Amino acid sequence: MVSLADTPPVAKTPKRKVGTLNRALMVLLLTVVAIWLFVPFTMAVLWSLVDPETGWNYPDILPPSLTVLRWVEVWTTTALPQAIANSYMLAPTVAVVTLLLASPTAYCFARYDFPGKGLAQVATLLPLVVPGFVLAIFFSSLIFSLGIYSRFLSILMAHCVLFLPYAIRIMTVSFGQVRQDLIDAARDLGASPFAVFRAAYMPALLPGILASLIIVFIQSIEEFAIAFIVGAPNFTTIPSILYSYLGYNFIRPNAAVVSLILVVPNVLLMLGLERLLRSANPAQMGGKG
Amino acid sequence: MTALRSIDVSKVFEDGFTALADINLSIDHGEFVTLLGPSGCGKTTLLKIFAGFYAPTTGRIEQNGADVTSAPPEKRDTAMCFQSYALFPHLTVAENVEFGPKQNKVPKAERITRVDDLLRQVDLGKNRDKLPNKLSGGQQQRVALARALAMRPSVVLFDEPLSNLDAKLREQVRREIRGLQQQFGFTAIYVTHDQSEALAMSDRVVVMSGGKIEQIGAPEEVYQRPETAFVADFIGSANLLPFQRVDDYTVETALGRFTVADPPDSDARFLCWRPEAAEYGASEGDNVVASEISERAYQGSYTDLHISLPGAPDQRLHWPGGASSVGDHVTFRLPPDRIRFVRGELG
Amino acid sequence: MTWRRALLIIALLTPGLGVILVMIGSVFYVAVMQSFGYYNLVGEDTFSLEHWQKVLESKQFSRALRYSAYIAVVAAIGSVILAYPIAIWLRRPFRGSLVISALLKAPLFVPGLVASFLFLNVIAFHGIVNQFLMWTGLTDAPIRLQNDRGAWGVVFLQLWKNMPFALLLLTGAVQSISDEVLDAARDLGAGSFDRFRKVIAPLTVQAMQAALIIIFIGAAGDFAFQVTAGPTNVQSMAQYMVFLKDSFGRWNQAAVVGVSLMVLALFGSLILAILARFILKSGNKW
Repeated sequence: MVSLADTPPVAKTPKRKVGTLNRALMVLLLTVVAIWLFVPFTMAVLWSLVDPETGWNYPDILPPSLTVLRWVEVWTTTALPQAIANSYMLAPTVAVVTLLLASPTAYCFARYDFPGKGLAQVATLLPLVVPGFVLAIFFSSLIFSLGIYSRFLSILMAHCVLFLPYAIRIMTVSFGQVRQDLIDAARDLGASPFAVFRAAYMPALLPGILASLIIVFIQSIEEFAIAFIVGAPNFTTIPSILYSYLGYNFIRPNAAVVSLILVVPNVLLMLGLERLLRSANPAQMGGKG
Repeated sequence: MTALRSIDVSKVFEDGFTALADINLSIDHGEFVTLLGPSGCGKTTLLKIFAGFYAPTTGRIEQNGADVTSAPPEKRDTAMCFQSYALFPHLTVAENVEFGPKQNKVPKAERITRVDDLLRQVDLGKNRDKLPNKLSGGQQQRVALARALAMRPSVVLFDEPLSNLDAKLREQVRREIRGLQQQFGFTAIYVTHDQSEALAMSDRVVVMSGGKIEQIGAPEEVYQRPETAFVADFIGSANLLPFQRVDDYTVETALGRFTVADPPDSDARFLCWRPEAAEYGASEGDNVVASEISERAYQGSYTDLHISLPGAPDQRLHWPGGASSVGDHVTFRLPPDRIRFVRGELG
Repeated sequence: MTWRRALLIIALLTPGLGVILVMIGSVFYVAVMQSFGYYNLVGEDTFSLEHWQKVLESKQFSRALRYSAYIAVVAAIGSVILAYPIAIWLRRPFRGSLVISALLKAPLFVPGLVASFLFLNVIAFHGIVNQFLMWTGLTDAPIRLQNDRGAWGVVFLQLWKNMPFALLLLTGAVQSISDEVLDAARDLGAGSFDRFRKVIAPLTVQAMQAALIIIFIGAAGDFAFQVTAGPTNVQSMAQYMVFLKDSFGRWNQAAVVGVSLMVLALFGSLILAILARFILKSGNKW
């Protein structure tokens, strides 16, 4: 046994050093994030509030006066209301149709085994592999040569195909979580097929259905290539309007307004989805998790 | 020179939980030392401090006389066998075993020899090109062992390596571990909550509870001469009775008056006797108890009998026969040299 | 496998997988056919290799091809190189790690066009960057940062948009490695870099490959970033393709560029993924 007298002073734990390294990294990262997230967004918000009378020019760091007049002006004088209407009519339709198309396939992937299944699952990822503008341009060729003139219908079809991989993947996971023993128990108790569906399938499917609808909705609202190429010139969506303000016609405040209209509802929807999913089912769904 | 030493080691975690306090331990070269105790007693924490994964809050660790307290695991001359085996899933058995020597720049020819020898010794030569997920639990454990030994470490640390194996396999692998340790002669520190493992394998047992060391000693000593109530109760079964001193060699308990061979120390709290110490045959004389069976459980080689006492826990004794019933009378004698005194509280 | 079951499976797969195969197949078919002179929207259908010849010989095309390939490689590799250390740092939760993780993934919610706009704002004549440079005295007049010749703007935007995606994929993979396996590597003498090279990298190869492939394909086909923030003296493949389509009578050439872009996207990404796997997986053979 060693006596207390000849023990050296208490060893400093290296753990403290790791703590400060972590903290330094966090501070560094938070500064970087501030620069690459908050600053641009604040500037966008500020730009959307610039007074049309006074403008915002160098060398002012902040716009001299702020007003919501810009929003009013954009709303009343541009094609924005129409674009918003188009986008918000298109997106829910796309979401629902995609979900309906995806479900049988997802059910099949989740509950059946067959030769070539692996290949089939990889094949559902095809739309993700084709570059967006290639798809847009040649899809519009195809549509034209088939004599389909409705822009809405064309974009609807293209969006559905483009987002099917997401819906299929999400619903495959959902169907896979339906418990066979619950199905058996419900049948055993004499439930009708509808009742079996409600009792055994719905609880597992509900989070997936919600996730699929919301994620496809958001993707459709944000999609640019197809809306731009196939929709031109009659059918505008929010992204294609934004593009017009970024091109030769760079009207900064208008672009700011449209950007915020594009992003804010989507972020709110995603947060809402996350909250809903956490309460229904802690598993992570595909996509923007 | 001792192989491994902890001096006044304590460990307090960030959330304020004190995992270890006053740990002073000295381990000799080639010793097989077991850290034994229930979950949460700090044995794994101490093992990880020896390995270098945790730094002690106070105190220091010495290995072969050198202070290694601030050395990280990759720089210490220790190798660890993990509870979950922790084999590299993307490497074959042979590549797993080769990992350490390769990392330490052992020349290729020597590496190959070491790997081949070790795989042969743990009887896994045929499986050398398999991936870990194709092996059974016992086989994975042997790979983990071979991997640790390939480093030719002076100290091997075992973190409950047998707890994921079934009973039959456990005994076999236990013998293999002890056999390899004696053959190679490395120092082993072995963590377990299973007292039969500890008694069977160790040169010395360190019994721990609540972050402190209760007792250190050879298995026989820890079993036959426990110093605290915890040790007495944790290893094997023990009957513990409060007592009153009558004189140096006599005490009074709820079970009766007993003559003892060793007088109780001033801090002794309980009288302690083991169920198998009861002798049968005498019906008169000192230390004879007559009582009634309140419960019985047949155990094959003996029957576990309970005697209830007013105001004291049930006393248990082992009756070598089979035929007995609740309510029967039983008479037994406690030899004075099988009566001990222990300090401390229970649980 | 009975006939009934096979029919059932095919029926189930039709609305989903079937639709995908038909649509994508048709689009691909149209693109290829148009590149060979068929499916003309005006004029006759005649098989001809002249469109391919014209395009492959054009300097604009070869510049666009090299440019898009460059952007795609830089975006893919850069995103993965940035994301790996962050994913490893965030492997075990510590105070504030969830917040950091959420903040880093925020760009996933920002569509490409909006990102372009935000970027243009920040680097404008009177944007924050110029203001900062003048305030520190590095320059005394605002400099034109937009549409720079070196395509740094496009590269920055690609990294801004794609690093969070790589982070998403790599975080999942890195977290699935058990603590004890990494502890074992340390115990056997491996320092941080060796642990990455010999344990983390080989075990996360698949996620890394998925990230490389998806980012490469997206960046190779970029239009929006290039048009808003890219150099004006060179076009990306997608931009060139749209330009050809809009020029009268050059649909066929646009088709050639389109097919080439698909080839670049697919084969480029596969080659990159295979190379990366080769480099990472052989980490422990050295």
